[in-house]
Amino acid sequence: MIVRLNTDLAAGILGLAFAAILWLPREELGRLSIIFPRAMIIITVLLALTLVIKAFVKPAERQVEIEGSPLRLIIAIAVLFAWWYAIGILGFLLATAIAFFGFTWFLARIETPVSARRLAMWVPIMALLIGVFYLAFTEILSVRLPTGSLWS
Amino acid sequence: MEMLVEALMSILTFKGLITILVGVTAGLFIGALPGLTATMALAVLLPFTFTMDALQGLMALGAVYMGAIYGGAFTAILINTPGTPSSIATCFDGYPMARQGRAYEALAAATIASVVGGIVGVSFLLLLAPPLARLAVVFGPAEMFWVAMLGLTLVASLSSGSLLKGLMGGCIGILLSTIGVSPIGGETRFIYGIPALQGGITLIVALIGLFVVPEVLSMAAQGRGALPESGKLEGGVGGAIRKMGRHIFLKPVNLIRSCIIGQIIAIIPGAGGNVTSLVAYNEAKRFSGKPESFGKGNVDGVVASESSNNVMVAGSMVPLLTLGIPGAPPDAIILGVLLMHGLRPGLDLFTETGVLTNGFILSMGFAALFLLPVGLLGGRLIHRVVVKTPYYFLLPSITMVTILGTYALRNSFLDVGLMLLLGTLGYFLRLIGLYAAPIVLGMILGIIAEKGYVQTMLISIADPIPWLGLVENPLSKVLVVLVVLSAATSLLPAWLERSGRMAKANPDKTGSDKGSREEESKP
Repeated sequence: MIVRLNTDLAAGILGLAFAAILWLPREELGRLSIIFPRAMIIITVLLALTLVIKAFVKPAERQVEIEGSPLRLIIAIAVLFAWWYAIGILGFLLATAIAFFGFTWFLARIETPVSARRLAMWVPIMALLIGVFYLAFTEILSVRLPTGSLWS
Repeated sequence: MEMLVEALMSILTFKGLITILVGVTAGLFIGALPGLTATMALAVLLPFTFTMDALQGLMALGAVYMGAIYGGAFTAILINTPGTPSSIATCFDGYPMARQGRAYEALAAATIASVVGGIVGVSFLLLLAPPLARLAVVFGPAEMFWVAMLGLTLVASLSSGSLLKGLMGGCIGILLSTIGVSPIGGETRFIYGIPALQGGITLIVALIGLFVVPEVLSMAAQGRGALPESGKLEGGVGGAIRKMGRHIFLKPVNLIRSCIIGQIIAIIPGAGGNVTSLVAYNEAKRFSGKPESFGKGNVDGVVASESSNNVMVAGSMVPLLTLGIPGAPPDAIILGVLLMHGLRPGLDLFTETGVLTNGFILSMGFAALFLLPVGLLGGRLIHRVVVKTPYYFLLPSITMVTILGTYALRNSFLDVGLMLLLGTLGYFLRLIGLYAAPIVLGMILGIIAEKGYVQTMLISIADPIPWLGLVENPLSKVLVVLVVLSAATSLLPAWLERSGRMAKANPDKTGSDKGSREEESKP
C-alpha cells in the first residue's frame, strides 16, 4: 500500500514532539542531571526544525510503501500486545499456548484454509516448542516466568 | 616460557579440551538467543564451575564468553536479530546476504573472522598485556567523551539516504539513554511517575525491539519467511567455506584493520564489543572500494564486525588482568571468579600464578579454534532450521523467544511492553527514514558521552571556562582531530555526490549508486 506522506515533515514533527515530551514536564533536577539531556534536546529541536524547513524547500520521499497487507500488519501488532497483556493475566504458559496457536493459525491461513485436522496435528509440535523453551528458561536459566494474576 | 609450556600441557588433556568444547557450544547457543547476552551466559553457567578446579573453571568461562560473542552472529545473519549487542553491525550485511540466499556464506565468513579475531586477541593479550594496560589508564572522562563523539560520526555511514534523519535517529537514541537514574547526579529523569522506568531503557530491550519486532511485523504483513528457500549452495558447504576463506585471506587488509581496531577499543574500559564492531564496520566501509555495497550484502561488513568483536573477548582482558578494570561487562564476572580463587589482578598474576593465568589465556585461544568446527556445524544446523521451518511456525517462535529473552533480562514485564512498543514504533519510523541502527548507536554512546561530559565539567568546575577541560589533555586533542577527520571523511563523499562533482568524475558509478540508494530507502 502506498501512502502519500512527506517523510521529512513527518520526521521533523516527530522529533519536535519527542523533544517536547522530554522538555515540558522538566522536574526540579540538579544541574549535573539535566545539563547533558538539555543540550541533546536543543540539538534534536534544531535538527527537527531543519527537517521541517527542508520538507518545504527540498523534500525527499513524498510517499511511503507498506509492503504486504496493512490489515495483517494491524492484526499482527494487536496480537503481539494482546500476547503481552495476556501473560500478565493468564501466566506465561497458558497465554503463550493460546497466542502461539492463534498467531500460527492466522499466518497459515494466508496461504490456504487450515483444516481442523491440520490444526490438531500442530498441537503436539507447539506443545513441544513451548515446553522446551519454558523448561530451558525456568529450569536451566532459573528465570521465574509470570504465573498470571488470575491464579494468584 | 616454562609457565607457558606448563599451562599448555594442562590444557592439552582430555578433560581440558572437553571443557573448552562444551563451554564454546553452551556459549554459542545462549549467545544465539536474542536477549541473552554473553554476560548472562557467563552468569548462568558460573555455578557449574564451582565444583571445578581454578584453571578448569576459568577455561570453561573463557570458552563460554568466546562462544557467546560468536553465537550472536547466527541470529543476526539469519533473522536480522543481534543475539548479543556485539553483533549489531553483523546484521547490516549478514541479513541482506541471507535474503539473497547466501546465508551460509555469511555464516562461514563470520566463523572464519571470529576464529581469526579470537586468536589475534589472545596473541595480543599474551605478548602485549603490560604495555597495553598502561594505555588503558590514560583514558579519563574527557577522552571517553571524545571516544563517544568519534563513535557518533558513524551515524553518517549508518544513515541510509538522509544524514539529517540519521542524526535525528542518533539524538533520539541518546535521549532514550538518559531516561532513568542520572549516572552522575543520581536523580531520576523522564520517568513520568513510573517507578519501573528508574532503571532506564536497557540497550538489549531497545535492540530486540528495534531490530526484531519490525522484521516480525513485516514478515507477517507480507506472509513470508525470514529467508528465501534457496537451500542449494554453490559447491556445497565446503565450497562456501573455501570461497569465504579465499575472500578473507587473499585480501586481508580488512581483517587486519578490524582486528587492530578491536584490540585498541577493547582496552578502553567501558567501550565494549558493540562499539568495537560498529567502529570496525564503519572503517571497513570507509576504506572499501565499493562503500555503496555495504548494507546490501557485502561480506566485508560481516568480517569486520565479527573479527573485531572476537578480538575484544581476549583484548578486554588486558585491563582486567593487569589493572583489575573490566574492559567489558562480561569481564566483571571473570574478575569475580579470579577473586573467588584468590587471584588478584596485577603483574603477580603473570609471575606467581603464571601457569593459571597463561592457561586461562591459552584456553581462550583454543576456544577460538573450536569455534571453527562447532560454528560451521551449528551454523548449518540453525540455517536449515530457519529455512525449512514454515513461516507460520517461525514467526510465533521468534516472538516467543524475544518475549522470553527480554523478560529474562531483569524479570521485568514492563521491559517486554517497552520492547514491543519500541519495535512497533521502529516499524513506522523505518517507513519515514529513521532507521534502527543510528538510534541504537545513540543509545550505546549516549551513556558514555554523558558520563564523560558531566565528569569533565565536574572536574573543571573551578576553571574559568569549564568546558575547556574537554580539550586540555594531549590525548583529548588527538581525539578531537580524529573526530574532525572522521566526520569530514564521512561527509565529504555525500557532499561531493550532492554537489554533482562525483557525477562529473564518474557518471556511470554515481548513476548506479543513486539507483541502489533509492532501492535501499524502501522499507
